[in-house]
Amino acid sequence: MSSNYCSSTLRRSIIVLLMIFALAGCGGGGGSATPPPVADTPPPPPVITKTQLQEAARFASQATFGVPFEALEPMARQGAEDWLTQQFALPVTRHSPTIVEILQRREAGEFDAFEEDIEYLIFARRLAWWHNTITAEDTLRQRVAFALSQIFVVSDNVDILEVYPGALGTYYDLLLTNAFGNFRDLLAAVTRSPAMGIYLSHMNNQRSNPDAGTFPDENYAREVMQLFSIGLFELNADGSRRLDGAGRAIPTYDNSDIGEFAKIFTGFSFGGEGAFFGNNDDPRFSVPMQMFDAAHEPGEKRLLNGFVVPAGQSGDADVEMAIDNLFNHPNVGPFIGRLLIQRLTTSNPSPAYMTRVSNAFADNGNGVRGDMQAVIRAILLDPEARQSAPGDTRGKVSEPVVRYVSLLRQIGVESDDGFIAALGYFLQNETRQHPLSSPSVFNFYLPDHQPAGALAQRDLFAPELSITNANTVIAWPNFLDAVLLGSFVTDPPQGFSEVRLTPDRWLAIADDPAALVDEINTLMVFGRLYPETVDAIIESITPYEEAPLRVALAIYYVAISPEVVVQQ
Amino acid sequence: MLNRRRFLTHSCSLGAALPTLGSGLLGLAAMREAAAQQADYKALVCILLAGGNDSYNMLVPTDTDQYQQYAGIRSDLALPISDLLPLTLSGTDGRQFGLHPGMSALQTLVSNGDASLIANVGTLLEPFDPVAVNEGRSELPVGLFSHADQIQQWQTAVSDNRTAIGWAGRIADRMQASSPSNGVSMNISLSGSNVFQSGNNSTEYSISAAGNGAVAINEYNNPDFFGTNRRTALDRILSTPANNLIEDEYRRRFRAAIDQQLIFSEAIAQAPTIATAFDTANPLAAALAQIARVASVNASLNAPRQTFFVTVGGWDHHDEVINNQARMLPIVANALADFRAILGELGLFDSVTTFTISDFARTLTSNGRGSDHGWGGHHIVMGGDVNGGQLFGEYPILSPTSSLDVGRGVYAPTTAIDNYFAELALWFGVSRGDLGDVLPNVTRFYDTSSADAPLGFLTL
Repeated sequence: MSSNYCSSTLRRSIIVLLMIFALAGCGGGGGSATPPPVADTPPPPPVITKTQLQEAARFASQATFGVPFEALEPMARQGAEDWLTQQFALPVTRHSPTIVEILQRREAGEFDAFEEDIEYLIFARRLAWWHNTITAEDTLRQRVAFALSQIFVVSDNVDILEVYPGALGTYYDLLLTNAFGNFRDLLAAVTRSPAMGIYLSHMNNQRSNPDAGTFPDENYAREVMQLFSIGLFELNADGSRRLDGAGRAIPTYDNSDIGEFAKIFTGFSFGGEGAFFGNNDDPRFSVPMQMFDAAHEPGEKRLLNGFVVPAGQSGDADVEMAIDNLFNHPNVGPFIGRLLIQRLTTSNPSPAYMTRVSNAFADNGNGVRGDMQAVIRAILLDPEARQSAPGDTRGKVSEPVVRYVSLLRQIGVESDDGFIAALGYFLQNETRQHPLSSPSVFNFYLPDHQPAGALAQRDLFAPELSITNANTVIAWPNFLDAVLLGSFVTDPPQGFSEVRLTPDRWLAIADDPAALVDEINTLMVFGRLYPETVDAIIESITPYEEAPLRVALAIYYVAISPEVVVQQ
Repeated sequence: MLNRRRFLTHSCSLGAALPTLGSGLLGLAAMREAAAQQADYKALVCILLAGGNDSYNMLVPTDTDQYQQYAGIRSDLALPISDLLPLTLSGTDGRQFGLHPGMSALQTLVSNGDASLIANVGTLLEPFDPVAVNEGRSELPVGLFSHADQIQQWQTAVSDNRTAIGWAGRIADRMQASSPSNGVSMNISLSGSNVFQSGNNSTEYSISAAGNGAVAINEYNNPDFFGTNRRTALDRILSTPANNLIEDEYRRRFRAAIDQQLIFSEAIAQAPTIATAFDTANPLAAALAQIARVASVNASLNAPRQTFFVTVGGWDHHDEVINNQARMLPIVANALADFRAILGELGLFDSVTTFTISDFARTLTSNGRGSDHGWGGHHIVMGGDVNGGQLFGEYPILSPTSSLDVGRGVYAPTTAIDNYFAELALWFGVSRGDLGDVLPNVTRFYDTSSADAPLGFLTL
């Protein structure tokens, strides 16, 4: 067993952490081990109401990968704003160190008995993702990084990215580290990432060669505009399209712009010691791609909004100017803002909500553009995200990966060796989602996916419904059945301990079905279960007297309900 | 009168045990008898090669002059002429063509008259006119060269707007009115939700290639206490209409999937075991075999018309196009040959027309390792009603100065997708009067009152 692994159960560590936050948040008030002076007893902390607990649970559904019931009260006391401040300050739980540790165990022969070909190389980054996402204290950062991984898409469906564990591990760390930084740095780091260079093929992309009749690869040039920064059409701050005099949407770029940006993204290859252009055989994923000016397209490049990159400068200088050109485009705030809102709070932000987030992107209050912390605050603290009044269009279908991790963190998990091992293949097979495993650069679903019927009639979007079909909508409850009522909690490879659920808190109140369901309802659905659902669950679980079965069934019913799947 | 879904729900809430789904209860036996007399079954099978197949390396001109042009323009992406599989095609004005070396199975299908090729099809809003394009007075598809838009337009047949309604969805809207007669959609997908099969009032029924295609919710059909207890609870949980539109849509899909699985499973259980040996490790072959099984029980599903949709992804070969196509094109060709054999075994080959679509073909010029996003591309049609062994449409004369070349060897389409799809829709049974509703821009390219077929590749 490794000392780096979580040594106690996850639930306990999260509770302790949140208690520490709570103390800090109240200036070290209640809960201190030192008895307060008798003569000066501070007033008892105000009682946290059930509604406040439900609101904390709802906030957690938007800002975390799940918290246990015990965390709700400290979160409610602390308030969303202070909680964010503390999450921003937490050290980054990077995934690469975990990958390195697994590879060291592999090198030491620990998995030799099970090894088939290259399996544990492929497993390493998946194991690291699940263990870290399930156990990390910086759960806001992990949640935002997962959202970013669905904007800046790279995928293990490209062989080289699957079999070199450092490729996607380093990439995810890049998203984690930049999640609370500045968007410009994030865009630049993604652009120079070797994983992205492989995925969108600007790695080893070379200047045009008139003799051979070859031209720069346009792949990254197109997608960095269409998907990673400005989108297809000029936008207003409220997310609506700007229109020309004839009432038509205005394209942000045309094919000649793509050709110009394609020239910018020439000359990159793997970096590191002894680097050379055209290196295909000796991948170095732990360092950014290196620019080789000899392979970089010379001459000026005419970018967006009339900006001209002058001839005769280095490739690196070209790239920096191009990143600035994109970053300063007025579309970035509303374009990226909407994508992040869709991942965290709602599929259909109002124009006012969009404007507030766009404004936060444009200026964090101190004149800084692209401050991710300001954007995340604006998204999560917005009245539209925080208000609890029901609306018939708000919220979103919770992503399968978020649903599953949240469930594990809410119930609590443990294993003999402290490592929470999962490969995620089972989930992926059943739900069509796994981190960094999208079928294409267009992610698992499109932001403008609009199901026919009532949603289309109201012009509403619901991206995640495009992976919710007759097949997957049944597979999800069956998956939960296996997790909660079968012997399967996660899918670890051989050589790793089985993961167990630790619903101790609920086992203790299992003799009161109504109280049990009420508590799960508060944590997972913020008290939103319909009365008929509550009654149905209580009546179904009451005949089962064994506490583990009763608790597992209660969780199953709540977790499969439309009320919990659609986060609102 | 209770409709089928309400009847099912009702009987469940009474706690009726359904150990095996009695045909008597579902009334399927009678329905099957009625439907079995429906002799005129037809199915369309759409294979989406997602990402933009570089089809100028799938179908290559092999006359000396045209091959030299091809080799010159494609430079390092050109396939050696000696590797190309010769085709004997009619309809080429004497021009010679060869297939990608990995597609010998398709070569056989074409020479047997089971399949044909359609040249240089793409999204258009008006017949391509290079002068008009240069002068900026040409109407061009929205988001030309962009995956997201082009892959969508190939499914919607609408290139002047963004819509999420596909042309098979529009057909289903008409053919099955507000709801499918027995609860399972006539549009069946092996690749989940998709635009092609999404209508205003109809959606796809998603199945998998594995087993019988549709799984039941665990315990739901078990007659013991554990099963009936769970079934009662689930039915109640799904009974409350949600006060949120997204949530209600999820609830509706969940409920419908449970009900449809009961109907679908009983139907497909009657499908014959396929005797034809096919490559089960080929995912497209496995999907097509499942499609054949579903088609064989069309009467039980009360579906005289069905569309099927399956995606084969990973064709965006900016890099390694040569190696990747060498790996992937045989998967397509071999799966088509397996499918043809299975359909023959089941007596369905004349009733099923299979066709490919793809975002676009790719730049004929190279980026040094692969090719970038293009426009018009070549496609495969297969079926007993296909006029086989032919090339339809116009294969461009390749030349660096071709007036069709809009830059970097991107060839503008010489046949609009509207014509391609009009032929398929007419064969499927869409009336000429309804053609404009199913394919909103078709009259830009085809006179729907014409006695001539749009392209002529099907026996209409």
